Amino acid sequence: MQDNENKSHENDNDEHHLPANGDNGTESHDHDHDHDHDHDHDHVHDHDHDHDHDHAHNHEESFISKYIFSLDHKMIGKQFLLYGLIMFFVGGGLALLFRWQLAYPERPVPIIGASQQYIDDGEVVTAADRMWEKIFDSDKEEWLEVNMPSGVIEPAFYNMLFTMHATIMVFFVVVPILVGAFGNFLIPLMIGTRDMAFPVLNMLSFWLAVLAAIIMTAGFFVPGGHAAAGWTGYAPLSADPQWTGVDWGQNLWAISLLIQGFSSLVGSINYITTVINMRAPGMTFFRLPLVIWSLFIVAILLLLAFPVLSSALALLIFDRLAGTTFFSSTAEGGGDPLLWQHLFWFFGHPEVYILILPGMGIASEILPVFSRKPIFGYHSMVYAMITIAFMGWIVWGHHMFQSGMQPGLGTFFMTTTMLIAVPSAIKTFNWLGTLFRGSIRFTTPMLHGIAFVSMFVIGGLSGIYMANTPVDIYIHDTYYIVAHIHYVVFGGSLFAIFGGIIYWFPKMYGRHMNDTLSKIHFWLTFIAFNCTFFPMHILGVGGHMRRISNPMQYEFLQGFQGINIFITMSAFTLGFAQLILLYNFFWSMARGKVAEKNPWNVTTLEWEAPTPVPHGNFAQIPTVYRGPYEYSVPGEESDWIPQAQPEHAPATGGD
Amino acid sequence: MDIWLPENVSTFGQGVDNLFILIYWITLIAFILVTATLIAFLILYRHRPGHKATYIEGSTKLEITWTTATTVIVFGLALLSYPQWNRIKSPTELPPADVVVEVSAKQFNWDMTYPGPDGEFDTEDDLQLENQLHVPVDKIVHIRLTSVDVIHSFFVPNLRLKQDTLPNRFITVWFEATKPGRFEIPCAELCGFQHSGMLGYLTVHSQADYDAWKAERWPPQ
Amino acid sequence: MNPTDIEITESRPLSNAKLAIFILLGAETMLFVGLIGAFLVFRMGSVTWPPISHAEINLPRLVTGINTILLIISGYTMFQALRAIQKDKIKQLRNMLIFTGVLGLLFLGIQGSEWIQLIGKGLTLQSGIYGGIFYVLIGCHALHVFGAVIWLAIVTGKAIRFKYSYTHHTGVETCTIYWIYVVALWPILYILVYLA
Repeated sequence: MQDNENKSHENDNDEHHLPANGDNGTESHDHDHDHDHDHDHDHVHDHDHDHDHDHAHNHEESFISKYIFSLDHKMIGKQFLLYGLIMFFVGGGLALLFRWQLAYPERPVPIIGASQQYIDDGEVVTAADRMWEKIFDSDKEEWLEVNMPSGVIEPAFYNMLFTMHATIMVFFVVVPILVGAFGNFLIPLMIGTRDMAFPVLNMLSFWLAVLAAIIMTAGFFVPGGHAAAGWTGYAPLSADPQWTGVDWGQNLWAISLLIQGFSSLVGSINYITTVINMRAPGMTFFRLPLVIWSLFIVAILLLLAFPVLSSALALLIFDRLAGTTFFSSTAEGGGDPLLWQHLFWFFGHPEVYILILPGMGIASEILPVFSRKPIFGYHSMVYAMITIAFMGWIVWGHHMFQSGMQPGLGTFFMTTTMLIAVPSAIKTFNWLGTLFRGSIRFTTPMLHGIAFVSMFVIGGLSGIYMANTPVDIYIHDTYYIVAHIHYVVFGGSLFAIFGGIIYWFPKMYGRHMNDTLSKIHFWLTFIAFNCTFFPMHILGVGGHMRRISNPMQYEFLQGFQGINIFITMSAFTLGFAQLILLYNFFWSMARGKVAEKNPWNVTTLEWEAPTPVPHGNFAQIPTVYRGPYEYSVPGEESDWIPQAQPEHAPATGGD
Repeated sequence: MDIWLPENVSTFGQGVDNLFILIYWITLIAFILVTATLIAFLILYRHRPGHKATYIEGSTKLEITWTTATTVIVFGLALLSYPQWNRIKSPTELPPADVVVEVSAKQFNWDMTYPGPDGEFDTEDDLQLENQLHVPVDKIVHIRLTSVDVIHSFFVPNLRLKQDTLPNRFITVWFEATKPGRFEIPCAELCGFQHSGMLGYLTVHSQADYDAWKAERWPPQ
Repeated sequence: MNPTDIEITESRPLSNAKLAIFILLGAETMLFVGLIGAFLVFRMGSVTWPPISHAEINLPRLVTGINTILLIISGYTMFQALRAIQKDKIKQLRNMLIFTGVLGLLFLGIQGSEWIQLIGKGLTLQSGIYGGIFYVLIGCHALHVFGAVIWLAIVTGKAIRFKYSYTHHTGVETCTIYWIYVVALWPILYILVYLA
């Protein structure tokens, strides 16, 4: 905290640490204003190249300061993106493991399930044995014996798998990518400033997140295994090792989330300060692009929600390590198991909106650009997001209708929850309104944007069932809720993430992603996603409980095994499709088609910066003259007017 | 194969199912309308050379319309749910019991305690059965739910009944079964490594069968 | 400096550092909301407070009351320190900072000795929720005071080395905001935990 003061002075005089821009500032100034939108490719290119050259000369950054402990918001954003993508494959891999168990209970997992002979005698029989032999020392065969004897997933291991799948996806994939990657990359660029308010804190935020991820992953290899109480960690199951047999795994889970909480805290302080204080001249709040609004609101939610989880985690750690009984009512003078649920969901429901709001923001960028139309109802979009953020604080009890909470409270929470459907509906109608009488280009980001809207519709509508208390009695804790959360967070957030990656990739890496591969990835993902998660609604209506490792143990679920197998096959396809994304991502980074400065003809400020964006972003801080969605303005020759284009200037760009 | 709600055998279950079906139709129609509009817009307003998008910033009239419409629908649904919810869960609307059974959940079984011939709990003639819940048909049954270790959830899909059990606390739920038969009672809340497979059975007897079962299992000693 | 850059700087009502501190306080508040919420749940859920198992425990109300006054005075002196630098009185700044720091340490010292006595009387972290939430809630505040004292020590060190001036004293400002927050939080906890 102490050096905040110095930092703020530095930021007051940005050009101090930007000698490169200071030197050629006037020169590039001319370039910008004369040739910005005339599609003179070569010229723009030259200019960028020069700029880069100078840049490299004046900024002799070492590899470590440029790529590892970077203070540049763009690099930190890319670091978060990579981090999130790596964790995405970890979390997805865990899901595939337990999907196998659900489809073929008690059967050895193919490819990675080691044979019992290997576990017993260390004798390599199968290819899987050979793989484990390479990964593990011989003494780690014990780990296989405990978790996957004969290659079959043990029930306790199954619990760890789904616990970590959800924990990783929520805390280490969706939030880091949406908030960490897009937030970092986009906020300074889109509000027109040189960097975040506190670059050092920004770097700290990333490295704390890395530390949290390492601790979380390490939990699999401690004695007793990893946390197995679900991502919601309901006490007393999570509060006392005797109930799960999990000792340090659960502790590491809690500690890792505490660290992740610090990372979010630091990040959100940075985001909020930056958005409030560092907007370019003319960039009023109601000229902010919606994605910035969403990230700003999400930063406030993270700031206020995460400390509540931290308080609950602290109490949990005391229960586990210091012998307190905050969450166990069985002991003398004991506490209240429902307290954990109240604290967790008081954090958890805002967290759900943290997961979806930036997705809504990204969709609200992509849809107008590729419809060549202003977003429909900009102000109502903003107010809807603010309403969602406010109401997110008074709906947490809808996770607890069947928990033993007073039924009267259930009625209250049902009413507030039903009301929160209204702003979500408003947003959906506004997206439709954006398409109305547009000129729709079916680019890959647009496909993802449309998928986001339609999947979000399903996720939103299925939420009404659970919000309704009597119906929730039946479908609570069944696959219905699993379907719902995945339609919102995978169908919603992840399609937005994919769309966002492809859309901003040219600005991030200076190249386009391969469009053929992107399209194959999109269609495979879209179809496999629906085949995976839609049938879960049917399972839920049939009463199929979530978090059970073997549905065949129940007579009333045996008829559903066919659906379970179908879901698993689709899930494997879905997982495979993501490998295409991964390949495309890295291949395009090196070999993709070189991108122009503003390939999609977008009005917002990030496209004013040269590509690749230099340190300090803009040669000169742009001035903003209008709102972010001025497309197809009547009487204008061009179908887009950049935010930074001065008033009354003759139309320049576009086609 | 049946891919709809399983057979309902409780008096209040029909109310739950009716609400479910109502929401099903509302959401289905909403989904079809939205998706059809979306697809129509995608086809009608696809990019064609020479066509330009129309500059529309929004419409306050439309915003008000769909805000009001959504609010009315969701409020209506909420209003319809209040009585059903209170009927099933409200402690003040609990109908008087014909039969009371205490169900205590523990890792990983349901302990069913019957009061025995004297009708009182915690007396010597209490009958304890593991995972076997026997009740008469068409009678109001109270289940006093508790747990000895962690949170479990008492779930009888065919009764449309679910209630978490909490350690050191008793929560009373009720039902009236409308049909004799044997139904499963899975645990619906993650409760440890053998959560999957924690399973009890509800046997609903006709009155005659129930009396016979009682005579056999509750012998006056 | 580009002309536009100046425009940004001048349009800010609060500097980045001050704004960040206020935002941080929002998060701190929610941390305490969580813990106080837990305290209230236990408090309301228990027929008597302290619960029967700890009926004989008397929290040191009087000593803690005096301690409360000490802490409130430290808030006043901290504010005076800020006033001093705003009037460019470097010496007074130094004195007030040192005085505030001493009061803060005194508060922690008295609380520490009270804790030792309570532990001697048998109220420990393990004595049910009563002891547990007492030590966690009060301890969490004490940690914040401790953190504030360390921050204050750094600021005092800088003040002694004449690093602050009439125009440049954001460090003093932010530290004052944080200190006063920690001071203002205490009476709420005192009333909730000791008196009510």
